[in-house]
Amino acid sequence: MSWHATALAQEDNVATLLQPVAAGETVRVKRTDGVIEVRANEAVALCHKIALADLKPGDAVIKYGECIGEATAPITRGSWVHIHNVRSRRAQA
Amino acid sequence: MSATFEGYRRADGTVGVRNHVLILSVTGLTGPTARRIGRCVPGARVITTQYGSGLLGDDARLHERALTAFGCHPNVAAVVVVGATPPLVERIAQDIGATGRAVEALVFDACEHDAITMTERGVRTAARMLREASRLRRSRADFSELFLGMECGRSDPTSGLVSNPLVGTVVDALVAAGGRAVFGETVEWLGAEHLLTARARDARVAHDIEQAVLRRERAAIDAGMDLLGNNPGPTNIAAGLTTIEEKSLGSIAKGGRAPIRGVIEIADRVPGPGLYLMDAPAYAPESVGGLVASGAQIVLFTTGVGNSFVSGIAPTIKICANPVATRRLGEQLDFDASDVFERRATLEEAAQRLQGLMLEVASGMLTWGEILDEGEDVVSRLGPAL
Repeated sequence: MSWHATALAQEDNVATLLQPVAAGETVRVKRTDGVIEVRANEAVALCHKIALADLKPGDAVIKYGECIGEATAPITRGSWVHIHNVRSRRAQA
Repeated sequence: MSATFEGYRRADGTVGVRNHVLILSVTGLTGPTARRIGRCVPGARVITTQYGSGLLGDDARLHERALTAFGCHPNVAAVVVVGATPPLVERIAQDIGATGRAVEALVFDACEHDAITMTERGVRTAARMLREASRLRRSRADFSELFLGMECGRSDPTSGLVSNPLVGTVVDALVAAGGRAVFGETVEWLGAEHLLTARARDARVAHDIEQAVLRRERAAIDAGMDLLGNNPGPTNIAAGLTTIEEKSLGSIAKGGRAPIRGVIEIADRVPGPGLYLMDAPAYAPESVGGLVASGAQIVLFTTGVGNSFVSGIAPTIKICANPVATRRLGEQLDFDASDVFERRATLEEAAQRLQGLMLEVASGMLTWGEILDEGEDVVSRLGPAL
């Protein structure tokens, strides 16, 4: 079975797109335990991230099984995850 | 049987993968003359610095250490050291000569500060050195005699998913065989330092890693800057990297999984076999300059959207897994890993191919950066000057 996105660790709540997707498209995400399906809420570019779970502000965003920052706005499953709704937890004054 | 390559055996026990004659300008005043000598002797390489007698303390020590290290580099057979005033030129020339390399010192003071006189002497000297160096022949060397520097520049998410793990796989094989490897870019340990400290050889090394990261993080905070827009920079962000943590977690994959033997300062020599970290700036010219000064014969340089910068004396292999970039940059990227990204090949298959290419480059195959003469070797700066 082929897939369009990958999440390298089981606890990841975002996946990286291996090809661009359009709004409404069903994205097949390769996880460590198999392939799951997520409906894209919006267009997401190649290599950008899509949410695999609903996140609320302050929640940790997990990729590679590690925290890559925190949500700054509510993020719904299937949404584009980037600098408009995530910020770093490091080097903050 | 373990893998081998054909290299140049030096008197100091190192093995070169290239056989450069170097015009090394150690003061800012002599840079233009060094470049003119280089233009007259096209087979020679040129390294210059913009700085000189105003450098202070750690900065002055770094400057001398790095320039001396370029002259003593395994890939260098002979050196013309040019500079404005005797003490620095003589010290550097003496240190290079002590490694058994042919070296000549040219000082402006002895040329009545006439750049044309210095050019004439430099051209004659470099020409003779090039003739002698061309008599040296390559001989069989073991894979374990390689010392790799690892770098990433203009990264994107394919760097962390494919290119950096691919380089890490080759580094693991080299370290297991008894070779050396080093990577720097300290700011790109932020958010991943716990994974590095967990691999530290002992508590002292773990402490050094933590402190190096804290110093860079504090420097950013003290400068009042948000790393967003700087690292990750605009290109990284457009390509899909969101935070420094995300970039770091991908970046450190180029160091593989081996234990970390120590943290060295920029342009310091590594004390022995194994994997080392270099506490250094992330910007490619400063970072690569530091890795090469530490003695790396080859740089494995991953990129996501393309980055043309290479070292002038250490062949720099450009590795990319972004299918759009690999189609666009056919004469920049030496290794195409987009088949892994597109799931047409496994990481292990690609690592075998990359190791094969690396050994070919070590034996003399030219990189695109060498063919197109993109190389430069830079000494980083630390602070204010007089």
